[in-house]
Amino acid sequence: MMNRRTTLALFALLALGTLGACARKSSDSKPGEPQATSISVKGSDTMVILGQRWAEAYMKQSAGSTIQIAGGGSGTGIAALINGSTDVCQASRPLKEKEKAEVKAKRNADAIETRVALDALAVYVNAASALKELSLPQLAKIYTGETTNWKDVGGPDHAIVLYGRENNSGTYSYFKEHVLGNKDFAAATQTLAGTSAVANAVKGDAFGIGYGGIAYLEGVHAIAIKKDDASVAIMPSLATAQDGSYPLSRFLLFVTAGQPTGLAKSFQDWVLSPAGQSMIESVGYYPLPKG
Amino acid sequence: MTPQVRSTPELPLVVKMRTRGLSVFYGEKQAVHEVDLEVGVNQVLALIGPSGCGKSTFLRSLNRMNDTVDGVRVLGEVDLDGRPIYGPDVDPVVVRRHVGMVFQRSNPFPKSIFDNVAYGLRIAGMRDKAELALRVEKALRHAALWDEVKDRLFESGLGLSGGQQQRLCIARALAVEPEVLLMDEPASALDPIATARLEDLISELRAELTIVIVTHNMQQAARVSQRTAFFYMGKLVEVGETQRMFTRPKEQATEDYISGRFG
Amino acid sequence: MSDAASSKSSGAARTLDLRRRPRRFERIAEAAIVAVALLSIVSVALILVFVGKEALPVLYSSVVHEEVTPLAMILPREINGHAAYLWQPVSEIPKYNIVPLFLGSLKVTVVALLFAVPTSVAAAVYCAEYASSRMREFLKPAIELMAGVPSVVAGFFALVVLASWIQRAFGTEHRLNAMVAGLGLAFATCPVIFSVSEDALRAVPQSYRTAALALGSTPTQALLRVILPAALPGIGAGVMLGFGRAIGETLIVVLASGNAALVDLNLGHSTRTVTATIAQELGEVVVGSAHYHVLFALGALLFLVTFVVNVITERALHRSRQSLSGSK
Repeated sequence: MMNRRTTLALFALLALGTLGACARKSSDSKPGEPQATSISVKGSDTMVILGQRWAEAYMKQSAGSTIQIAGGGSGTGIAALINGSTDVCQASRPLKEKEKAEVKAKRNADAIETRVALDALAVYVNAASALKELSLPQLAKIYTGETTNWKDVGGPDHAIVLYGRENNSGTYSYFKEHVLGNKDFAAATQTLAGTSAVANAVKGDAFGIGYGGIAYLEGVHAIAIKKDDASVAIMPSLATAQDGSYPLSRFLLFVTAGQPTGLAKSFQDWVLSPAGQSMIESVGYYPLPKG
Repeated sequence: MTPQVRSTPELPLVVKMRTRGLSVFYGEKQAVHEVDLEVGVNQVLALIGPSGCGKSTFLRSLNRMNDTVDGVRVLGEVDLDGRPIYGPDVDPVVVRRHVGMVFQRSNPFPKSIFDNVAYGLRIAGMRDKAELALRVEKALRHAALWDEVKDRLFESGLGLSGGQQQRLCIARALAVEPEVLLMDEPASALDPIATARLEDLISELRAELTIVIVTHNMQQAARVSQRTAFFYMGKLVEVGETQRMFTRPKEQATEDYISGRFG
Repeated sequence: MSDAASSKSSGAARTLDLRRRPRRFERIAEAAIVAVALLSIVSVALILVFVGKEALPVLYSSVVHEEVTPLAMILPREINGHAAYLWQPVSEIPKYNIVPLFLGSLKVTVVALLFAVPTSVAAAVYCAEYASSRMREFLKPAIELMAGVPSVVAGFFALVVLASWIQRAFGTEHRLNAMVAGLGLAFATCPVIFSVSEDALRAVPQSYRTAALALGSTPTQALLRVILPAALPGIGAGVMLGFGRAIGETLIVVLASGNAALVDLNLGHSTRTVTATIAQELGEVVVGSAHYHVLFALGALLFLVTFVVNVITERALHRSRQSLSGSK
């Protein structure tokens, strides 16, 4: 929701202002120098709550270190990484080649992506809808504006109302790439700030359709997704996400400029440890498959 | 205290307006005490008296302007041509179309000269442009303003000089052809030349309508009016032909006031 | 008289000291006031310079022109044989057509003013002309307090409550649309227009009302033909302020408009405004990219539009004020 976003934005500003100096120091720190006790982690809205839970738990067991978590969207986080105003970027999509090049150019280090959790991107409709499944091609036609009526995909004779995320969201980019084949969203797609805003809108709109993290399913119901018209429909779940059978599962990432060092490295290592991984499901996402 | 108005031999009066036992209250305070007064047709009646004597309040009750002020109560009777204007079925808006008023400070609307004069006609429902133009010209001629403004009828009335503005207000009041015109110290904000013109105008207008004028200026009362009423402390002290009032007043208070011993 | 005469004679007996007094405090106070006034002017100017500096590369920078030219920001693009105005900045081929955004801003602002102007002027008339003084003392601060409602709250109300009402009442295709956003904006605009209009109405001299009544106007005639016209420049200034508030408001439209960049005049469709676009996209862009400069250009253009509208109406109001007062 907006007020959450606003708080996050303020938080991000604060983090930028107060930690900017420390952040830069920490990323430049050489071995032997005392470890930075404070880092800034910024990016995907999808990952904000997950990141905060991780940070709280980590700071509890490692007194004296401060980890600031801020949202704003994967794009915002990547931009911050490029500009050097964050140590770790949380991203719900891999970086584009152009972005990688910019990190290299501005930060003088390769962008390193580390998978930290799994998310199944759910497609959901109003709780009252009888729709059970859609194939990825059908979904693409709906979201590019080719299919505009529910009756064309086995629903009632009524216009489809499209809801989606703002274009700074990792979820937006992921959906655009994996579902739309990088075509543009239909102009009529209503873009809302935050996944819960999308879920809320679909909750209040009997003919709406939306997409977002599996964690936000209040008042809407997820539909099963078929990879193509011939394949089996799969519901999003831990099992189908981990074994890769759900077509819209994705990895949630930490991105750093160069290998993480200092606090950033110990935080990331902890996140990947069983202690860190065991917290993921309580937030609504899935731990990485073992092995 | 009520003076014996009819006891002295005076010219017979054709009555246009008459008040009987007229009292006006502002809340608890009584401003006018049981005034009996007659206004003769085609005459100018001057109301004189020291400030706060109730003459302006009395004047405003002659066209029910006091009704527009909160907390004012009027008792007694006021007749216009023998008909009670405070009667239960009388519309004060209609009364004001018959009894016009000009105020102490000129108050033209922030509109063109033409629109100022046409205002009363338009609200009374006149739409015909040619007729409006005729009536506006007539009213402006009546108010002795036509020659000065005929080339700028569509400029703002607020661009005129003080004396012109006051004559514009008179023209505005005359346009609806009232039978009585009430004037509340109309010359108090004007210079001597403008005042003289206004006094001439009042004398001319008398031929066509009845005028009641409140003034603080004794010479003015003497110059323009046929009858004069002297008010003091909310009461009518004396009324009579102006010439007689200024030469042989009956009451000591009148004589004191006229000769400048108080007020 | 004798008092004045004696004081005059005793004054003449003394030698008068007419030399200039230093009055240091006066000068310090004056300088401080001038400094503060200059500071506010300078900071506004600096904001303008900054926005302009970031916006101008749209006209000349080759980085920007790789993705978009100024002409392409206005002209439609051929898509499958028909012309389309598209705002798709994150795309294989980024499309930065600003027409849908300005149309969106216009739509919600018009809806807001269509609703806010009559209601707030009527409320101002009631307050200034009809309400008892006790009613007025309650009503005026109450309405003005509405201006203090944070726009998040107004936007959230529009999003959750108003949107459902409107969809039920009009059967709009989109639940979040220009009408909902416009009405949400009206909520923010009303107190501004009300407050300025009420002051303007009360500033009309009582003598106009008296004169109108003395000429046989009914109170309504006096209101419609004399008092309202006399207050019109002031009311116009209030509407201008309201326009600026509506077109510049961001949070309410972000929440309530649905943010789909469509080009149509249907008020039941979702719409995307200039301000909402800047607010949502500026956080993400890479500094110096085409997208970044286009967003600043949007801001500069929006400023230009409000500035021009303000200048034009200010001139009109000035003229009508002059013609009312009779000065040339």
